[in-house]
Amino acid sequence: MKTALPEDIAEFAAVATKRLARLGGPQAALRAETEEQLRHDARAALSDLGAFDLDVRSSSEDLLAGAVLCQAAGATALPYPLVEELLAIDGARLALVNPEAPRIDHGDLAGDWIAADLDGARYQVQPSSRTGAKLGPFLVPATLSQPDGTVPAVDVDLHLTLGSWRILGAVQQCLEITRQHVAARMQFGKPLAEFQAVRFTIADASVATRGLHELAKYTISRVESAPAQIRSADALVLRLKAADTARQVLRTAHQLLGALGFCDESDVSVLDRHTQSLMRLPVSTEVLAMRLMPGVRGGQLETLFSGPVSA
Amino acid sequence: MDYDLGTDAVELRTRLRELISTHIPESFLGACTDDPRDLATTESFCKLLASDGLLALAWPKEHGGGGGSVWQQTVLREEMWAHHEPRGAQYMGVNWVGPALMRYGTAEQKARHLSAIAGGEVIWCQGFSEPEAGTDLASLRTRALPDGDGWRITGQKVWTSYAQMASWCVLAACTDPNAPKPKRLSLFLVPMDRPGITVRPIRSMLGPHHLNEVFLDGVEVSADEVLGEVGDGWRVMREALAFERVGIARYARCESLLDRMQTDLGDDWDRLPESIRARWVRALIDLRVARLLAYRAVSLQDDPSAGAAASAARIATTTCDQQVAELLFDVLGPSALDSGPSASLHGAVEDHWRYAQAATVASGTIEVQRMLVAREALGGHG
Repeated sequence: MKTALPEDIAEFAAVATKRLARLGGPQAALRAETEEQLRHDARAALSDLGAFDLDVRSSSEDLLAGAVLCQAAGATALPYPLVEELLAIDGARLALVNPEAPRIDHGDLAGDWIAADLDGARYQVQPSSRTGAKLGPFLVPATLSQPDGTVPAVDVDLHLTLGSWRILGAVQQCLEITRQHVAARMQFGKPLAEFQAVRFTIADASVATRGLHELAKYTISRVESAPAQIRSADALVLRLKAADTARQVLRTAHQLLGALGFCDESDVSVLDRHTQSLMRLPVSTEVLAMRLMPGVRGGQLETLFSGPVSA
Repeated sequence: MDYDLGTDAVELRTRLRELISTHIPESFLGACTDDPRDLATTESFCKLLASDGLLALAWPKEHGGGGGSVWQQTVLREEMWAHHEPRGAQYMGVNWVGPALMRYGTAEQKARHLSAIAGGEVIWCQGFSEPEAGTDLASLRTRALPDGDGWRITGQKVWTSYAQMASWCVLAACTDPNAPKPKRLSLFLVPMDRPGITVRPIRSMLGPHHLNEVFLDGVEVSADEVLGEVGDGWRVMREALAFERVGIARYARCESLLDRMQTDLGDDWDRLPESIRARWVRALIDLRVARLLAYRAVSLQDDPSAGAAASAARIATTTCDQQVAELLFDVLGPSALDSGPSASLHGAVEDHWRYAQAATVASGTIEVQRMLVAREALGGHG
């Protein structure tokens, strides 16, 4: 068993993190809400990193590289639909939507779009324009055609999985910001980090974040080898855990940063607002849990004791 | 990156499940019950494991061990705990007393004890906690006074698991109250039938044998029964306990209980309230995460940069234990409190709930684990 990322992937992750951070991090993402150029700069940075040469569907190495790139994008709140473009079909970015209320992150960007729901039904889309929302500021309501065929199930699974890596990056960054804040912020004559209640809160957030990282690595490592039904359950499991962990860590970050964490000049505020779309869409964690329920008895939600899954 | 435990570990899991299904009754809930047959079951099962080199799987072969890989050891931990620890009280001797003896014991101590532990012939208990020193072990008060060439020990231990059934004890005592804290303690290897030792069981919700008081009234101990150097007990204790720092594979029993309960419910599972089924899904996800954190800790166990990986795994695992205990009780509803062989899963659900209460206390409290994780993240001590 090897639980660490391969060395070359870890190196690529470091390079990607540095390159994307050079764009200006979450503060650049904040400016991108009003300055169109920044989204083009984000694409250029991804292009520099070779993002659009990655074949995440057929090469496990490219998939891993795509995952750590998404993680770096999450950490910087990169204002670009990276997952959607990594999974583009015939040049059209693939959005994962809830047909009951279709919204597409960065759907107003020029270029073709196509959408799929969690069942793999495929739709032609007609994006409208951004609404200026605080939460998910790049979300664009869209109109869907009638179902128009299907996309492969693996595309849906990869979408959920790579999106979870973006969430992971945001969560790790929020924890790091919070860690630095409590180490520096003095109250009652000593750093917040010396109060045990604060230390325990950081410990719990740290364990949750580590757990999500391990789950993300595990899930991506067996995309190729797991039977299709187990792979799909794995993807739902990861997305549910990613959203739950994000809620916990963001709550921790806000609580420990106090009023500062609500200000857009704090990266926590930007990371929170910009990550909400991934945490809530295409469906809530409650719906994800419901979709996993048949997998408990069917064995798709694998444990040490589940038997073989029938096709 | 791969999560394959390896062929030898996978084969071991199959073999262990076969052994367990053949030799352990389905109603077995561990050695610590009111039924003396359960203790006999563990004694014979340990000898069976020992004869296959599986009891002390992690040990080098020269000490009677199986020389197993870390992933085989992981599988052994998982399967044993999943099936209510049919090694009974042996795991303490195997998991840390033996490894501590290998590192710090004299040639005579090794010769006397190691093959007996590897052979499943002897039960050890651990005389650390005291009425006024639990987590803060460096403050314990049991006193060892020099007496001729040896020592005479007086004091009291508490919460000592298996003290009634143990034949040996690793006893921590203060040998120099004036020394700096880390140098006050020494460890002694003491037979439990030595005059001056009295064991009093403590009735508890955990069941018999889990908790005892041990009174030490001028117990004579010879110089050659000191483990390691005199005054070095704190270091030996800390390093020895690190041998089992990954901790009990509690997630494995939780997964097993959920699997058995789901089988037991059959189609009724689909009729459980949606809120319960959602909690069930989340529990399985949390258990997967706990298992992966444990695997990460195992993969880093010889890595000095591992940091708090083992503490993170313990926090995740012990909290899952209690989460699953509550879930299963809520699944059972009004029959949750029933115990004994006629209760759900032969009483395993009720047994699990009671024992899970100790998960965040035993072998290093969750607060200590949080301190270790916080220390890595923030520096400092508290």
